[in-house]
Amino acid sequence: MTSTALPPAPSSPETMPAAPAKVSRPRRRAASALRSERPSVRLSAWIAVIVCGGFALLPVYWLLATSLTPRDQVFSYPPKLIPTEITLDAYTSLFANPQLFTYLQNSIIVSVVTAVLSVFVSAYMGYSFSKFRYRGRRQLMYFVLASQMFPQALLLVTLYSVFSAYGLLNTYTALVLSFTTFTLPLCVWMLKGFFDTIPDELIEAARVDGASRLRTIHSIVLPLAAPGLVAAGLFAFVRGWNDFIFALTLAGPDKQTLPPGLVNTYVGEAATAWPELMAASLVVSLPVAIAFMLLQRYLVSGMTAGAVKG
Amino acid sequence: MTTAPELTQANKSHTKSLRASLSSKPQRLGDGIFAILLVVPGLALMAVVVAYPLVSALVTAFFKQSLVLPGREFVGLQNIIDVLQGNFFQLLQQTLVFTLGTTIAPFVIGFALALALNTQIRGTKIMRGLMLIPWLVPGVVVSFLWMWIFNANYGVMNAILEPFGIEPQAWLAQPGTAMFAVIVAKTWQSFPWMMVMLLAGLQTVPRELHEAAEMDGAGTIRRFFSITVPQLSGIIGLVVLLEFIWNFQHFDIIYVLTGGGPAGTTETFATSVYETAFHGFDLGRAGALGLLWLVLLMALVVVYVRFSEKGEKR
Repeated sequence: MTSTALPPAPSSPETMPAAPAKVSRPRRRAASALRSERPSVRLSAWIAVIVCGGFALLPVYWLLATSLTPRDQVFSYPPKLIPTEITLDAYTSLFANPQLFTYLQNSIIVSVVTAVLSVFVSAYMGYSFSKFRYRGRRQLMYFVLASQMFPQALLLVTLYSVFSAYGLLNTYTALVLSFTTFTLPLCVWMLKGFFDTIPDELIEAARVDGASRLRTIHSIVLPLAAPGLVAAGLFAFVRGWNDFIFALTLAGPDKQTLPPGLVNTYVGEAATAWPELMAASLVVSLPVAIAFMLLQRYLVSGMTAGAVKG
Repeated sequence: MTTAPELTQANKSHTKSLRASLSSKPQRLGDGIFAILLVVPGLALMAVVVAYPLVSALVTAFFKQSLVLPGREFVGLQNIIDVLQGNFFQLLQQTLVFTLGTTIAPFVIGFALALALNTQIRGTKIMRGLMLIPWLVPGVVVSFLWMWIFNANYGVMNAILEPFGIEPQAWLAQPGTAMFAVIVAKTWQSFPWMMVMLLAGLQTVPRELHEAAEMDGAGTIRRFFSITVPQLSGIIGLVVLLEFIWNFQHFDIIYVLTGGGPAGTTETFATSVYETAFHGFDLGRAGALGLLWLVLLMALVVVYVRFSEKGEKR
């Protein structure tokens, strides 16, 4: 226990967000613990999985169960842990609410544009950080890394005034620009990690063959890093999709995205429509779940590139 | 270009690290300029949306300024003095309680799960995927869900605890339990990330180490403390530090679950800066609070950057 001091970390490439791509591939089975676990170890493993698994999944079950419960049965105590009657009313009532479609449309537009813009700008930045050495490079890289740790509530204080001064409040532009504060650092570091895995010789060869520097990027490097571009874009999409504070503050009901939109629609009423809110929660979470299914391989690299957080 | 001053600034202050930045990479004439041109669009964007707002928010700390009225008046350190004499230390204490709670609890749960899933018990792959669900859902959904679970009248938490002799509580509406409820909700969201990171770390621990130690008669617990923990110390430091930094500025779940209430007992720096600026319209005071908050945060970020740099040099 005494030796838990931080510095010596011989076999953990994870400590460097700089080379995340390597970590993403799961190691061979052999690298995990011993084959023949003692019964006591197995038992405690099972207990940990059941206890923590209950904590993780029972709320998810409750979300699903509530969304399927008729509205009048929700307001009873004690609650029925297993619904006796199942209905899709909550889901159909979502479709009857045109305001929710506005929020959905806004969410899609803003998140997609944010993702595309972030990947586009970060690709060049990440490439520069990965393949060139110049003075100030390190400092710039760590400025980018640290910038995602500046508190959003504080940035908002001025972003609001700036957007207000330029008449950008309640526009997609304001949302996209504010979202890049957290997607750009993420994409830059993720993409730098991907470019690091492209051998320098390949770039040299293209240059020797007479390709210009830009041409080399566009026809050699970017196609090779295509999976990385997609992964970074998906991460940026998810981060934008999940944002709450910027969309809450910088946009009104006609430009707001789903997270603040749902808060405004359902929270604060005397009797919240719980089945509808749970159904809506499930629907909002679906695109994220799908994105992450596609992203599995890059999960850890995205996580280490920084701040993939809700 | 807006970024030029920044670049020179960065260069000037670090000329001594010249040696470090000259590497063995093949360089051509003009590559340096090209490399910087590639960075310009991104830097320009960040200057507009990050650097400028940050600096200018901090500048408002020294002015009496309203969100809705034009004009401002220089007041020196008055805002900062007001904040320090006001509820700063209460906020600091509550932010630390929230941050420590939402760092330690997910770490313990995440580590336990990572260790469990690293054994060869059946179903680990499926469990690993399922455990990620809380981390996938958006922050507001986490809030909605726990708002419902902790509901005073119809909440399932009360129903579960009642057989154990615990009276039904208005979890989110009474000062004694609101912070606990918020920490539980955030913990639920955070632990899967801890689990994935620690599991990835565990899988890099060479199996031979465990085998050799077992040959020498070291038990499971002994091996945990003498092999697993030291081997993972780097990744443990990283995840704890990052989680701490994130939670130190967390906003969504607190804001939606309690809005800082009841009676300000779940107010943290994040929610307080937001409330002061956008409900109290007092930009000066929000800036002052933000300045003090940022100083504390930057101390943590410096530690983190040092930590990552060390990782990269290796």
